Amino acid sequence: MLKEDFVIQSNVRQILIRSNIDYSRITFGTVKGVVYLRGVFKSAHLHTDGSGEGAANITIKSLESLEKKIKGIPGVIDIEFELTNWTKAGGQWILKKAQEDGGR
Amino acid sequence: MDSEKSARRRGKVKWLRLYRRILTEIEREIKIHPAYADLQNQIGLLLMVKGKTEKAERHFLEALRQNPKYREATFNLSFLYVETRRWEKAEEILLLEVKRHPEDAFLHQLLGVLYFQTGRKKQAAGRIHKAIQHHSYFRDYYSKKRVWQRGVVHLHRKAEGVLREIHWSHHSAQFHNFIGLYLAKKGKPRQAILELGKAAGLKPDEFVFHANLGTVYAYQGAYPKAIQEFQKALKIQPFYGMGYANLSYVYGLIRRTREAFRCMKKAVRINPQYADLRYNLALLYSDRKRYEEAAFELKKALRINPSYLFARINLGVLYEDQERWKEARREYRKILQVTPEDKHIRNRLERIS
Repeated sequence: MLKEDFVIQSNVRQILIRSNIDYSRITFGTVKGVVYLRGVFKSAHLHTDGSGEGAANITIKSLESLEKKIKGIPGVIDIEFELTNWTKAGGQWILKKAQEDGGR
Repeated sequence: MDSEKSARRRGKVKWLRLYRRILTEIEREIKIHPAYADLQNQIGLLLMVKGKTEKAERHFLEALRQNPKYREATFNLSFLYVETRRWEKAEEILLLEVKRHPEDAFLHQLLGVLYFQTGRKKQAAGRIHKAIQHHSYFRDYYSKKRVWQRGVVHLHRKAEGVLREIHWSHHSAQFHNFIGLYLAKKGKPRQAILELGKAAGLKPDEFVFHANLGTVYAYQGAYPKAIQEFQKALKIQPFYGMGYANLSYVYGLIRRTREAFRCMKKAVRINPQYADLRYNLALLYSDRKRYEEAAFELKKALRINPSYLFARINLGVLYEDQERWKEARREYRKILQVTPEDKHIRNRLERIS
């Protein structure tokens, strides 16, 4: 399979631009087919951090859709999300603040 | 005939609705960010189109108070003064600007219009001559209209109309460009392309309009058209570094990596201090297995931006590929100091420790 990091990187950029994500707060890189995404994840049309129930559902859908699209780029072997406000555990997206509260 | 009329009326109503929506939105934004010169200039432009010159003037002046070097706001204000026949004010601004930018063809052109309309034909001819000298667009335009013939400016009977036409073209083009960008931002690329196309049609020598068109075509996925527009922009402005970068990304999207590589190299040459461009060039070198050059670009990117984490990850992996274990370990350890939870990097480090 083709693993041209620059091609992958260009495709990730395009996906972010076309999505409903506030991509100004996200940085990304590609290393040997592994895509890294870092920063704050926020839907562009939401004016909250995504913590309300309705807002959280929208954000989770956006995250799942983004993940699916990036995985669909030829040559991508993995995605590493290092988001400050969301994390994936047991295949589920969890708002970090809520996770921390639950642990207390 | 009737259907044509009603279609025109519908078009006008639709346009007015869009205009009001934009105006309301910018008014709202200004309340939140009163110190943004851009917003002040944009609202001034919108008001001027509707003939509300007094309000427009206030906003242009505010834009210039916030940013005295704001070129577009200066043009718009002087345009407004010319249109409202406040010649002295217009002349004062333009002469000051021309002192700062003696090679700006459009400033000479504006002064030419002003002098012509105030009956100072000799001075008008001099300014038009300068505009022609500094930009081929004016030479082509005035030659076509027979104002410029055999190296001499002829301000004949029809010259006033010609001068006013070019004068208005600039202003209308700015307006369509602004509306186009607004529509693009709102996720309406088809409408945006129509507006940006109008802007580029009115002023084909303005590289920004072509660059904006290229960006929207790329967003839409119309890559050949995007390439065409970026190339037009670069033909007009060969030192537009981000134009080369954007062109490179489009080539990347269609897997024409040889062209992408060529364009990214130019982008880096023009903007050597942009870490992100160096990072992308490093990816292109690395994809070609030119590891030395890739490492060089990554190190440069890190020198510009020491917290550029991805550049450090790529550099570590590059060292690892070349079996330079010590250097790879050093880079991975530096990454883990910033992101200790990065499993990928931790695994890589453990594997080579």
